Amino acid sequence: MKLYAQHGFGDGEKLAEGFADGSLAGVVFGAKDIAPERLAERLGEIRQQWPDAALLFDPQYYVSLLGDNPNVRLNNLEDYPYYSAMRRGRLEPADVIEQELRKVLEYQVGLPVSGIIAPNILISRSFEHAEAVIAKNFVRSARKVYAALTDTRPLYATLAISREALADKAELQAFLTDITLLDNRPDGFYLLIAGRSSEARAEIFHADVIAGWMLLNHSLKVNGYEVVNGYSDLVSPFLGAVGGDVGCSGWFNTLRVFSMERFAPTASGGRQPVQRYLSNRLLNRITFIELNALRRAFPELVNGLKRDSEFDTPEPERSKEVLQSWEALNALLKKVTTGEPDDNLKKCLIALDAAENLYARIRATGFALDAKSGGQHIEPLRDGIELFKKLAEF
Amino acid sequence: MAFTTPTAEQIQAQFPQIEEVEFIQKGGFKAVYRAQIAGRLEAFKLVHIPNLQGEEFAEEFREECLKRITREVQVLGRCQTPFLVKLGSLPPTEAHLGDQEFVAYTEEFLCGDDLKKLIDQRSKPDEYDVRALAVCLLKAIRELWGMGIIHRDIKPGNVIKLNDPQRPFVLLDLGIAYSIVDTPLTFGAEHRPPPGTFRYLAPEMLQPNFRVSLDFRSDIYTTGLTVFEYAAGQHPLAEGRDDLVTTLSRILRERPKPLAQFRPEFSPMVLRTVDQMLKKWPALRPANLDELIARLEVRP
Repeated sequence: MKLYAQHGFGDGEKLAEGFADGSLAGVVFGAKDIAPERLAERLGEIRQQWPDAALLFDPQYYVSLLGDNPNVRLNNLEDYPYYSAMRRGRLEPADVIEQELRKVLEYQVGLPVSGIIAPNILISRSFEHAEAVIAKNFVRSARKVYAALTDTRPLYATLAISREALADKAELQAFLTDITLLDNRPDGFYLLIAGRSSEARAEIFHADVIAGWMLLNHSLKVNGYEVVNGYSDLVSPFLGAVGGDVGCSGWFNTLRVFSMERFAPTASGGRQPVQRYLSNRLLNRITFIELNALRRAFPELVNGLKRDSEFDTPEPERSKEVLQSWEALNALLKKVTTGEPDDNLKKCLIALDAAENLYARIRATGFALDAKSGGQHIEPLRDGIELFKKLAEF
Repeated sequence: MAFTTPTAEQIQAQFPQIEEVEFIQKGGFKAVYRAQIAGRLEAFKLVHIPNLQGEEFAEEFREECLKRITREVQVLGRCQTPFLVKLGSLPPTEAHLGDQEFVAYTEEFLCGDDLKKLIDQRSKPDEYDVRALAVCLLKAIRELWGMGIIHRDIKPGNVIKLNDPQRPFVLLDLGIAYSIVDTPLTFGAEHRPPPGTFRYLAPEMLQPNFRVSLDFRSDIYTTGLTVFEYAAGQHPLAEGRDDLVTTLSRILRERPKPLAQFRPEFSPMVLRTVDQMLKKWPALRPANLDELIARLEVRP
C-alpha cells in the first residue's frame, strides 16, 4: 500500500520533505484549503520536482448538500467554478447528476493531476436511504460522462459513507453487491468513511466500522478496482492488508479522520494540540512528553527511523511532526501490506498483540498515558479483523 | 416427467433429410443423437414437451417450453465465441413422434468427452489445461452477459473437451439460460425450485427471491466449481453419499475446500483465483471478466 498526503491548509515545505524522505507517493488536495489559482500552480511545482508523484484533487462536492447550515465554512471551495449549494431532491433526476458530474470532471481535466476524482454526496444515514440511491447513480454515471471528455487518466468514483451507515452489515453487503456490478466501470474508488467529528476516535476505531471499511477495500479490490482511502491514517495498514492500494494522512487531526464537521464546525478556537510521535509498536501516537518519559525504559517505543531525530529535542518542531508520522506509517504499510491478505492479517494480529503487550508493561509501571495515547484502539481493531474475516469468508 | 426415447426410424420418418441417426444420451427433457445431414455430422436434439393435458396451466406450460427452446436456439445463433456450441442446419421444428410432442433442432457435433466423464476416469489435468478451461468458460460467460444472458447450468457434464488448441473446451446446453433483459420465461417461477443441477447451484440461487437479483456472478461461481472439480477430481463441497438437504446446506453454509489441498503444485495465483470464485457472497467473487481472463490466460 502507498501513502499519500491528505492535503490541508498551510502545507509549507511538508510535501517536499515528505516526497524527499520517500514516505509519500502522492498527494490528495482538497478544494476547501487551497485557492483555485494556487492549486494549479502547486500541482505544477510538484509535478516538476517529483514527476512520479500521484496528484489527485478531491472536489469535496459532498459539502454542497450542507446548504444553509449557518456554521458552514467553505473557505476556498466556493471559488471553484463547479461549486454551488444543492438540495438532495434536485439530484434525483439522472440528467441533473450527469450535469453535476460534467461540471466537476471538466474542471479537473484542465488540471495537471494524475487521476480524476468524480464527485459524490455523502451517504450519511443508511444504504436504504434515498441518498444511497443518488450516490449509486453518481458512481454509475461517472464513466459515461468522463468518456465524453476523451481524457485517458484513471477515473476514481467517490464513495463517502458515514460510520453509521457502514455499521449495518446486511445493508452494506447489499450495497456492495450492487456497486461491484457496474457496466461502466471507473478505474478505482476514492473511499471516505465519515465520523461525526475528527476528534471522536472511538467512532472510527469501532469493530463494525473497521470490518466494514476493510470489507469495502477487499471486495472492490477483488473486483479489479484501485482503492484510495482518504483520511485513513492509522487504519491504513489494516485496509492495505486486505487489498487497499492507497492510504492518506495529513498534518491536522481533521486530515486524519474524515468528518463533515470540518466544513461546519460547531465550536471554534481551542489550544494547539501537543506534538505527537507515531510509535509503530503501539500502533498509535503518544505526546512527545510521554515519549521522553518512557523511551529509556521502553526503547521499543521508538521506530528506529530517520525522522525519530525530530523528537530527540526537548520539544520537537511542530512542522516536523507530520514528517515523522508519514515515515512511520509508510514503514508500517511496508510491513503488513505487501503479502497476500491471509498472511497480512496474521501480521496485523501479531502487531496488535505486541502493542497490547507494551501497553500492559507501561501500565504496570503506574505511568498514566493521556486518553488519546492509550490502547483503546487495540480491541476494536482485533475484533474488526475477526468480523472482517467472517464477512469476507476467510 | 419421463418420456420414451424416439427410435431412429421414427425420427427418419419425420425428418427425411437425416441420412443416418444414432442415439447418444438422454436427460430429463432431452434426447441427443448423432446425425448425418447433407453429408455433415451434427448433434440432433429432441426436447420433450410434457403433456399436462387436463391440468390447469397445461397450455401455458407448453407455450413456455416452446419459448424456452426457441430462446436457447436464438441465443446460440447470436453467439460468436467458439467456446459456446454452434447451431447446426436444422432450425427448431415441432415434431410429433408417436404420441409425444418434441421440438427438434441440430447443433454442431463436437468430437470429444464431457468433463464429467474425464473426472470419472480420474484424469489429472495440468495447470495449463485447467487455466484453459477457466478462460474458455469465462469467455463464454462474457459473451452471454453481453446479451444479458446468464447460463445458470455450468457443470462438468455440460463442457466438452476437444482436441483443438484454438478451442480446447466448449460449453453446451443453454436450456435454462435466463435473460435479465427479456421477461423471465420460467412459468410460475415463484413456485418452482431453482433450475440447474443441485450440486452446481450458486448459493444465491437458493434464496427465495433469487430471480430478481441474479447476475453473471452465479456463472462465475459454477465456473469455479467446474474448474475445481476438473483439477481436483472431486467437488469442493458435495460428497458422494450426501442427500439433497445436506448438499444444499453445504452450498449455503460450508466453506469449500481450498484447491491447494488437492493441487499444491499449481501456482498460487491460480489457486487463489479459483478459491475466490467460490465465495458464497457474489461481491467477493472476481467479476471483472476482462481482468480475470487476462490473469488466467497463458500466453506463449
